[in-house]
Amino acid sequence: MKVKPYKFIEHTADLGIRVKGKSLKELFNNAALAVFDIIAEKAASFKLQASSCRKVIIKQKADNLEELFINWLNELLSLSATKEVIFEDFKIDKLDEHNLEAIAVGSDMENYKVNTEIKAATYHELKIVKTPVGWLAEVILDV
Amino acid sequence: MSELWQGSLEKIDDYRWRIPKSYKGGMRVPGIIYADEKLLKDIRHDKALEQVANVAFLPGIVHASLAMPDIHWGYGFSIGGVAATDPENSGVISPGGVGFDINCGVRMLKTNFQYDEIKNKIKDLVYVLFSDIPSGLGSKGDIRVSAKEEKEILVKGAKWAVEKGYGTQEDLECTEEYGAIQGADPLAVSDRAYERGKAQSGTLGSGNHFLEIQVIDQLYDRDSCDAFGLNLGQITIMIHSGSRGLGYQVCDDYTKSMIHCLQKYNINVPDRQLACAPVNSQEGKAYLGAMKCAANYAWANRQCLMYLTRKVFEKVFGISWQKMGMFLIYDVAHNIAKIEKHLVNGQEKTLCVHRKGATRAFGAGHPALPQRYKKTGQPVIIPGDMGRNSYLLVGTKKAEEETFGSTCHGAGRVKSRTAAAKSINVDVLLKELESKGIIVKASGRNTIVEEAPQAYKDVNEVVDVVHNAGISKRVCRMRPLGVIKG
Repeated sequence: MKVKPYKFIEHTADLGIRVKGKSLKELFNNAALAVFDIIAEKAASFKLQASSCRKVIIKQKADNLEELFINWLNELLSLSATKEVIFEDFKIDKLDEHNLEAIAVGSDMENYKVNTEIKAATYHELKIVKTPVGWLAEVILDV
Repeated sequence: MSELWQGSLEKIDDYRWRIPKSYKGGMRVPGIIYADEKLLKDIRHDKALEQVANVAFLPGIVHASLAMPDIHWGYGFSIGGVAATDPENSGVISPGGVGFDINCGVRMLKTNFQYDEIKNKIKDLVYVLFSDIPSGLGSKGDIRVSAKEEKEILVKGAKWAVEKGYGTQEDLECTEEYGAIQGADPLAVSDRAYERGKAQSGTLGSGNHFLEIQVIDQLYDRDSCDAFGLNLGQITIMIHSGSRGLGYQVCDDYTKSMIHCLQKYNINVPDRQLACAPVNSQEGKAYLGAMKCAANYAWANRQCLMYLTRKVFEKVFGISWQKMGMFLIYDVAHNIAKIEKHLVNGQEKTLCVHRKGATRAFGAGHPALPQRYKKTGQPVIIPGDMGRNSYLLVGTKKAEEETFGSTCHGAGRVKSRTAAAKSINVDVLLKELESKGIIVKASGRNTIVEEAPQAYKDVNEVVDVVHNAGISKRVCRMRPLGVIKG
């Protein structure tokens, strides 16, 4: 089994996760992967193929990195709900402290077994820090 | 077990505890927690009390940052928190004090059935309810609405559903705010929020939302039971749901904008999820207008869910819902901010009351109550976990005096979802529940484990505290027979 790119941290009512990345791009990518890994799992027979792919372009601006991180996750959750898509691949083209440009790739929700509804990512106890080996983030998700 | 909260806590009496204003520089009022010693032990095990202290930072907060006995760690506000602010004194409104699931709430309806009459039909009912009522993430309802109608729902709330034939005028009388809070502003709701709410009317949702068939197993106040038409062994139904994706998006949109208000209005709060703006500012007014839209959407949603439930009973028994006596007792919101009048130091003030996991509990004679409940006080519906009990209480004058007319909202979690998933076996749990006569159907096995009785405080203990503290009074207790989970 593939190693999951995140760990759960204890929270009484909601779900806390800790993610790491060698770079900021990898951190954002892993956080998004974690969110959709919690939400759904692929039906056994389903493989994401070019024909069933749905791509969404995401552009976000924010005052700082933490806001950008929360906006990124909440934009994905919102788009997933409105477009009825589960995302499973992310290509982050541009990322600095204030701007993000990415493409999220996924397919129709009906191809997945949905486990958990995540309403949103929150600022409560949000942590994004640079470590000697890269980046680490902790975020609490409202479920 | 997580670290024990080490802050300062003073005992006021057996059911009230105070976090003094001096605990943290920046607290404008003390924190007051309704709990007994036993519940307090669990409460100290997470960060809920720190959150009670943090809420006391909100500009314009009046009297105290309050917490009910089902309090647990949330984000920003604790779940089970009540905070009233004075708009005339720079009082703020915070989307975090309402939550993502705006007007998450619960309604209770009665039936004419006695347990013995339908005990062999519970399984059928659960299966038909599960198949006919859309539940789970992304579920879509059969009740389809156009974009124009969606706007109408946001203003008319449950009244929209009644006009469509999904209920009666009497249902509206038995709903908080008569099913439609005034002042909803559809223009304050983003296109994305509309889109996220589309097709979700009449859907239960997931997580802790549920529909339960219950039986009354204990009466506490005979006069109130008579007034509500309730008796021992009677079958009742409880529906717990909210504003679905529309509410999440409204909260997300306005948290985003209010983060910027912290600087703009020079507001100092220790947690950005407490982002807020003065109630009377343009941002505050816009949020209030949008929040009311989501609240009305939720009332319409629960009205539609009740309509579908009545239809299922008609299908199973071949009798009209009126003949089965499926009348609504009441519907309450437990995630909401309301502009209400309260006495503060003997003076009437118009306040913005945030109830984040707390229920309005107005006493007898309150002008907001319909005529039929003027004598009894407001019905307060407290859902418990799927293995133990739920309660019907009534609001009191004491609640109006002490807690801005508020009480608890449920059992309150004590174990995290991940801890529950690790320690509970779903098959063992389902067998245990079945041996107690409880049938459960859920969209996902994970939900059953995450929502297991062991993950919650004992609702009986929570209700003991609010009853003994006098902020609501027990009327009767129910136990579950059939449970539909999202």
